[in-house]
Amino acid sequence: MQKPGNKKLVAYHILAILFCFAANLPIVTATEVVVNKSVPAADYSKVDIRAIFTMQKRFWLNNKQIKVYTLSDSSPLHKDFVKNILNMFPHQIRMVWDRMTFSGTGIAPIELDSEQEMMDKIANTPDSIGYLSQKPNNENIRSFEFH
Amino acid sequence: MKISVHLNFIKRTLPWQEPLAPLCEDKGCRLEFVCGIIQPLLCVMTVVSYNVAAYAESRLIPEEIQFHGFMTQGFFHSSNNNVYGQSDDGISPGLTEIGLNMNYQPLDRLRFAAQGLYRRAGDVDTGSVRLDYGLADLTLFDYDSGKIGLRGGRIKIPFGLYNETRDVAFTHPTILLPQGIYFDRSRSLLLSADGGSFYAEQRTDFGDFNFKFNVGMPPHDFDEIKTVVLGTRDAHGRFKTTPAIATQLKYELNGGEVVFAVSYMNLDFSYDPARGERLRQSESNIQPLLFSAQYNGEKFTLTGEYEYSWNTFGNFAPRGKFVTESWYVEGSYRILPKLQATVRYDTISMDKDDKNGDGAVALGFPRHVAFAQDWVFGLRWDITPAWMVRADYSRVHGTAWLPQADNPDPNKTKQDWDLYGLQLSFKF
Repeated sequence: MQKPGNKKLVAYHILAILFCFAANLPIVTATEVVVNKSVPAADYSKVDIRAIFTMQKRFWLNNKQIKVYTLSDSSPLHKDFVKNILNMFPHQIRMVWDRMTFSGTGIAPIELDSEQEMMDKIANTPDSIGYLSQKPNNENIRSFEFH
Repeated sequence: MKISVHLNFIKRTLPWQEPLAPLCEDKGCRLEFVCGIIQPLLCVMTVVSYNVAAYAESRLIPEEIQFHGFMTQGFFHSSNNNVYGQSDDGISPGLTEIGLNMNYQPLDRLRFAAQGLYRRAGDVDTGSVRLDYGLADLTLFDYDSGKIGLRGGRIKIPFGLYNETRDVAFTHPTILLPQGIYFDRSRSLLLSADGGSFYAEQRTDFGDFNFKFNVGMPPHDFDEIKTVVLGTRDAHGRFKTTPAIATQLKYELNGGEVVFAVSYMNLDFSYDPARGERLRQSESNIQPLLFSAQYNGEKFTLTGEYEYSWNTFGNFAPRGKFVTESWYVEGSYRILPKLQATVRYDTISMDKDDKNGDGAVALGFPRHVAFAQDWVFGLRWDITPAWMVRADYSRVHGTAWLPQADNPDPNKTKQDWDLYGLQLSFKF
């Protein structure tokens, strides 16, 4: 005979399994990582994106230097990008950039003032990467595919 | 015309300036002095921030060149002992730091970086500008999962989690770094060294590894270092250093959610006494080994560092050799995204085999110069990405890290004391 507590346990298991499925679903987010059309397509992963935005990965496959653009720490789009695409916290990536900038060990990304400026920059700068709040509507910009 | 625009701008953006003015008139002379310092400083900070914003707007500078900087003003009040000037029974307008750096990348694999630092801190550093770092960085190999390179010039010393950016207020949670490890009184040894550095970065599926190996000449002839190594400021001979080694291996998981690091340094000094001096010719050596660990969550950050340092002080300790042990544990919690509270316990024993300071007593020093245990409570408010203000309270038992320059007679220092700090910082 089943103990009454076991039903609860079964329910927990079902919930846990559901959560596991949920975790594997693509993250539903409006933030779109975008690149200039000159950037070579390849099999990129989330790890690559994080390495690009923490300024560790500095070159594309064609050996061109990556140009990284971001928005201000206070921008909601920036916060969403850092949390949902990079899987980091805004204060964490700020620390990475500040440590490089103020110790001479690296260069932080270039910070832009608005999403419109981001769109213009990515469209007009070869080898650039950034993010927008929607799919790009510009022939010089394409979504950056990654898994 | 331009100046008047600036002044109007300052008036508009400094709401705290006007309430300060009557305060300066009402209170005593000391506070007036402090206000006299803070007001122009705030003006300078605001003007600079305004100009930089204007520059960024106009994009006059090509993107290969980047400028960044910071300005920090700290105020201290303490009971009994002095920190950054006369803080006992008053407010010391103790610590002013202004840094400006430039990054220039003429080639894909070659980068130049330099930072100038102005610092005025109590009686230890009465105001000076120095080159904090100035280096050329050459990437030798850059491959899909890492890179290897060399740096040459004046390079920051990698030691623990905070040493490379110890003067940049934004990069650490409380005003004073844990003093048992990041001594401010012997900071000149830990800042930067002239020489070369080899570095390697490797990204793997199970975290990122970062290795640095630096060899360089640390600065010498600083009174504070003489005090530490020779036991007295009153040394007139020649104090020399040889090239020192500093190396660090760092491991980071999930872009810094979890960090582990091991750092090691080897520093050698020699002293040639002046004619008729009581001090002997001597060789000294310091070898600190530091283990660091940090967890960085969305709201909670937990940090711990443990240092074990082998010392051979030819002139100082009665037995010549002793081991300094220090560690701290620090927890920070973001109550709101912009408001962070921190609690830290920090402890140091100058000689781990003599925690009560019997050796110090034998040399005529008070017992409490041999140890310090601090409880620190801090609150940090990041007003905007560019402005930050924070306040600390420390309860300290012992005077092991107390700067002697601010407290010339160790026998007049007190064992148990309080330290209050307030700091305003700006960066761009």
